[in-house]
Order: sequence, then C-alpha cells, then structure tokens
Amino acid sequence: MAALGTARRLLRTYSRVKNVQKSRQMLARCGVRTLCSATQDKALSDNAKPQFTDPAVQDVLTRITGLDLQKVFRPIKEELKPPTYKLMTDEQLEQAVELATEQAKKLLQMPPVLPERKPINDVLSEDKILVDLDTAKYVFTDITYDIPHRERFIVIREPNGVLRKATWEERDRLVQVYFPKDGRKLSAPLIFKEENIKMVFSQDRHEDVLDLCLVQFEPDSSDYIRVHAATYEDLDKHGKYELLRSTRHFGGLAWYLLSARRADGLIVDMLKRELLQDAVSLVSLFHAVHPHSESAQEAASQQAAGADLLKIYAQKESQRSGYIQLALQAYEQLAAKSSAE
Amino acid sequence: MFKQEGQGNNWGDLASLGPTPAEDNRANTMVHLSSLLLKKYHGGYVVIRLALAGHKQANRPFYRVVAAYNKRARDGKYLEQLGTYDPLPNIHNEKLVSFNFDRIKYWIGCGAHPTMPVAKLLGLAGFFPLHPMTITEAERRRAQTELIATGTEEGLQERQKEA
Repeated sequence: MAALGTARRLLRTYSRVKNVQKSRQMLARCGVRTLCSATQDKALSDNAKPQFTDPAVQDVLTRITGLDLQKVFRPIKEELKPPTYKLMTDEQLEQAVELATEQAKKLLQMPPVLPERKPINDVLSEDKILVDLDTAKYVFTDITYDIPHRERFIVIREPNGVLRKATWEERDRLVQVYFPKDGRKLSAPLIFKEENIKMVFSQDRHEDVLDLCLVQFEPDSSDYIRVHAATYEDLDKHGKYELLRSTRHFGGLAWYLLSARRADGLIVDMLKRELLQDAVSLVSLFHAVHPHSESAQEAASQQAAGADLLKIYAQKESQRSGYIQLALQAYEQLAAKSSAE
Repeated sequence: MFKQEGQGNNWGDLASLGPTPAEDNRANTMVHLSSLLLKKYHGGYVVIRLALAGHKQANRPFYRVVAAYNKRARDGKYLEQLGTYDPLPNIHNEKLVSFNFDRIKYWIGCGAHPTMPVAKLLGLAGFFPLHPMTITEAERRRAQTELIATGTEEGLQERQKEA
C-alpha cells in the first residue's frame, strides 16, 4: 500500500523530474604552493630570456645547490623519540643512502620565484541607495570545496554601498580563516618587521626566516619578495653563502644575485671552497640570462669553456676581478700539483 | 544520503522511470531523486535559513546558513550546512559571511525557499538582486540619523537663545 502511494507520487512528479548534469569534475585541488617541477619544454634560445622555471636553468641551480646529506637531514626540532638502530649489509646500506638522496632531492625542491602580483581594484557594483545601512563591512566568501583558492569569489560590501572584490591581503586572510593551512597565522608574525629581521640575521638564522616566510606568504605577494630580497642582500653583504648551501633556498639566492648582476661574492666564495665546476656553471648561467653583456659576447665569440669562462668574466664583468684571478691561479696550481703526484 | 524514514520502498521500480540509455549521452542519464525524497513531511518543504550555532556563550551569536525542513526546530537537525554568518564585526570591522554557492544553487534548484535574512544577505553579496527590505532599512536609518542631527541642532539653537 505504501509502495503504491509512493509509486503514484513518483508518477505524478515524474514530469517534473529534472535530469541533472553530472557535477563538474573534481578538479585536483592545486596546492597553493606549486613548487617548480620543470614542466615546460622550452629550449634556452637566445631570443627568449631564460626564466626561473626553465629546465636548463633549474638543472644548473640544483647542481650548484649541492647535496650535503648531513646538512639536509640534520636534526630538526621534533618530538623526542629514541633512535632506531638497524643491522644492514653493505648493499642495504647503499640502498638506504640512495633512498635518502631521493628524499633529500624532494626536500630540496626550490620554491617558485614569481613576479609581484598586481593589486585587485575591481568594483562589481555601486549602490548609492545602500549608504548608511551599516557601520561595518560585509565580507562574502565562496566556500565551495573544489575550486582553487586563486579563483574563489571573495567580495566585500562597504558601508558606502560599493560591492568590490577583496584585495590580495584580505583574500589571503580569509582563505586562511575558512581553509586553514598548517603553520600560517592570520596576521604576519612580528619577525618579518624590519628591526626584528635584522636581529635574526645577526644570529645567522636566515634559513629559519626563509622557511617561515615560505609558510606564511604567497610566492607572489609583496611581503614574500621583500623578505627574500632583504635576506639575500644581507647574505651577500656578509658573504655567508654557506648558510644556504644544500638548502632549498640556494637556487633562489643564486637567481636573485644573477638578475641583479652581483654574483661576484658568490663566485669568490665558490672558488675559496674549490668548487670550480659550480663557478663555471654559474658563469654560463649568467651569460644565458644576460646575453647582451660584454662577457657573454666575448665568451660566445671565443667558444670558451671551463676556467677560461671564469677568466673572461673576471676581466669584463666583475668588480673584484683581481680576487677571482688570484683564486683561479691558486686553483690551477693545486690542480697541477695533484696531477703531478 | 538521507535516511529513509518509515516505509521501506522498493527503489527497483524507479529504474524504469529514467531515460533509456539509447537516447542521450551518459552525462544526462542520472535522474535527480532529491525532489522526490523531500516530500516526507506532510506539507513540509525545505528552507534555507539562519540557525543559531549554540556555542552556549551568552551574548555571542553566531549563525549557520542551513538547509532544513520547515517544521524542524530552528537549531535542530538540518539537511546540510551551506555557510556561516558572524553578526559581530571583527578587528578589521568586517562581518564575515560565507556561502557555499554551489550547494545553495542545488537546494534552490530542489525547491528550497530562502528566508528573509538569508535573502537579504544574498542580495548584499550580489548573488540575488537587492532585497526591498534592505533598501527600506537603509532609508529608515538615514531618516533616523537626519532626525537626530536636526534634533541636536534645534536643541543647540534653543540653548543659545536661552543663554
């Protein structure tokens, strides 16, 4: 009987039954941190200026970052757990080391370097009738789960009746309210202020600052770029490149210095630590990024390679050419001695 | 999704009601059953309304935008939560409102009625056209402020005359 009743109801409402389109595909929620993974297949041509994300550039930068396992896996402040000991054969040990190198490579993935984002000034509507409705603004956020945060609708109705899109800072804050991310605070920690950041630099904790910055800000926000620029400047001033070597921030540092044409300190440091290959690749990257500089044209005309590249760069471009040449000579003497032995 | 209250129906006979696979592509063969399932309360319908989120703190209201049956208690069992509304402004002088527009569209498509406060909020958001009561409220407030302003002016003038 009950079934009859429902059947009758169903038949009545059948005419009103709507065929619903399949809900749109679950977009893979793009993590906001889209780490560079060299997907573009652009060759390094002389016409297009090489970008940070080019595979060739990424190769060079990963190579100069180095892979010091001891530093990558040094103890981070975690819960205290008693250490585990395993008995392994030599082969197993090699495999474990390989696994560790792969994991280290993942840990060393470089955070993206993006141009600063343009501010949003979009006004959706102006309703003069609504003036003086309320003293507070109304902020409307779209909570639909599967849209990327960049495409979410966040609009603000001001007390003067204007309906506008939210600015980037407001967007970041509201997305953090409704979709909280680990480690991010609603208002930026005080460490990112000018005075405090200098104190942290004096304690040699640039890496911690950069990690915090990575968690807190979006890669194309002005705060992120400002903090990174300040950190790199400070490192360059004091020559403390070793702090960042074998961390994920080294590539960013190298790229920043190259774009600003102030890579001398870095090259000198590399030569001091006898990393000739790294220095050579850095210089070749410099020539790729600035193809119209004198040293680039010299090198192209002479088809130089290896230590000659360094000499050309030292003569034409750098301000501390004397130091680089001295270091080169010392390196060659060492190389000659070791080959003689 | 919803618990079948009461009659145990044989949903097998529904299969014959859908469009045959011969016609149409796969995307449109899904028959939408929610409008059929909504008729369980006699004469009841679904509303989208504000429900107090009962944090058991006095003088601190917080509302949830909720799709519920009409007959249910205001803060009782609802079908789905569609958003939030915080009536007290925060440090930045903002009243935070959130809407899950995708699901709101779904429920309105199912035949749910929004109540007046929800309709007002949606109108302020730009999703609905502006509610007439919003405009009326704005006009009333403006009239009130003008009255106070003129009232104080007259009071000041009187005092000056007396002095």
